[in-house]
Amino acid sequence: MREPTYFVLASLLDGPLHGYAIIQRAEHLSGGRVRLATGTLYTALDRLTAEGYVELVSEEIVNGRMRRSYGLTPPGAGALRAEAERMAAAASLVTGRGQSPKTVRSAWKVSPA
Amino acid sequence: MSALERRCRWLLRAYPAWYRRHRAGEMLGTLLEASPSGARRPSFRDAWALMIGGVRVRGWTWLISMLWVVIGATGAIYATVALSHPGYNEVTLIPPTIQWPGEPQVIIYAAPIAEIAWLLLPVPLLVAGFVRLRGWRPRNWLRVAGWAGSWMAGLALMNQAADWLAAGQGGSWGVLSVGEMAICAAWLALGGAMTWILSSPQTRADSSVNDSNVVTR
Repeated sequence: MREPTYFVLASLLDGPLHGYAIIQRAEHLSGGRVRLATGTLYTALDRLTAEGYVELVSEEIVNGRMRRSYGLTPPGAGALRAEAERMAAAASLVTGRGQSPKTVRSAWKVSPA
Repeated sequence: MSALERRCRWLLRAYPAWYRRHRAGEMLGTLLEASPSGARRPSFRDAWALMIGGVRVRGWTWLISMLWVVIGATGAIYATVALSHPGYNEVTLIPPTIQWPGEPQVIIYAAPIAEIAWLLLPVPLLVAGFVRLRGWRPRNWLRVAGWAGSWMAGLALMNQAADWLAAGQGGSWGVLSVGEMAICAAWLALGGAMTWILSSPQTRADSSVNDSNVVTR
């Protein structure tokens, strides 16, 4: 899972958000590292929706334009958690040395998106 | 409409019409919100991402059609130079390929390959178009007829150019550039028409809301 995808999914953990809110939330969560361009965001949303990780939650008209809110699906939440565990296991190689190499290897195999 | 909004709408044309009908209003709103206050144009990052996103959505049918247009336009320029330059009077015409009269040698090999590629590209393009159009549906026949007709018109113009060449060998080379320029313009127009055909499938059934406030075509 690429970093922008990870932070798009992570931004939806606390509830559905619309496009610009996802951009803001992802930038905040990543400490300013992930600044999604609008085209990049909607490419990611199209793909994640097709994969069943994200779903359309609501639609409303704001300032005469469509505004859609997207939410995390259970498979999306599962993929996000698996990715977080994989990264945590990989990080522990350096920071904690708390897991056996076998555990780390199995964690790296889980990369659903 | 602000300058920023006008430019954003223009950039959104990178996406095919069916996608814009579904997404353009939403994306425009996000673009405007994400742009700094007082900005007159979207950032380079946003503009680049929109262009890349448009290519991705259009898929390989768009890339093939653009390749067809580029080869065709390049071929027209090549033919114009090869046939009308005063230094190239010893041009040898090997139907249907116009042979480059001198160095570099690679052009002599590249020209017929490019021409064959140009002639063959409509086949995968046609297949890709029908995949995109979701098969042989009755409403697609008009598009197919338009596409086939424009392609045949391109071939007819090529034949006309050959006739002009024959006339030019009698001493009047000036008419050649006019003919080749017409072919070049026709290629570009036909490529535009094909791109429109291939990027405009039937309205997506999964589009629950039509963003009619941003219809840019």
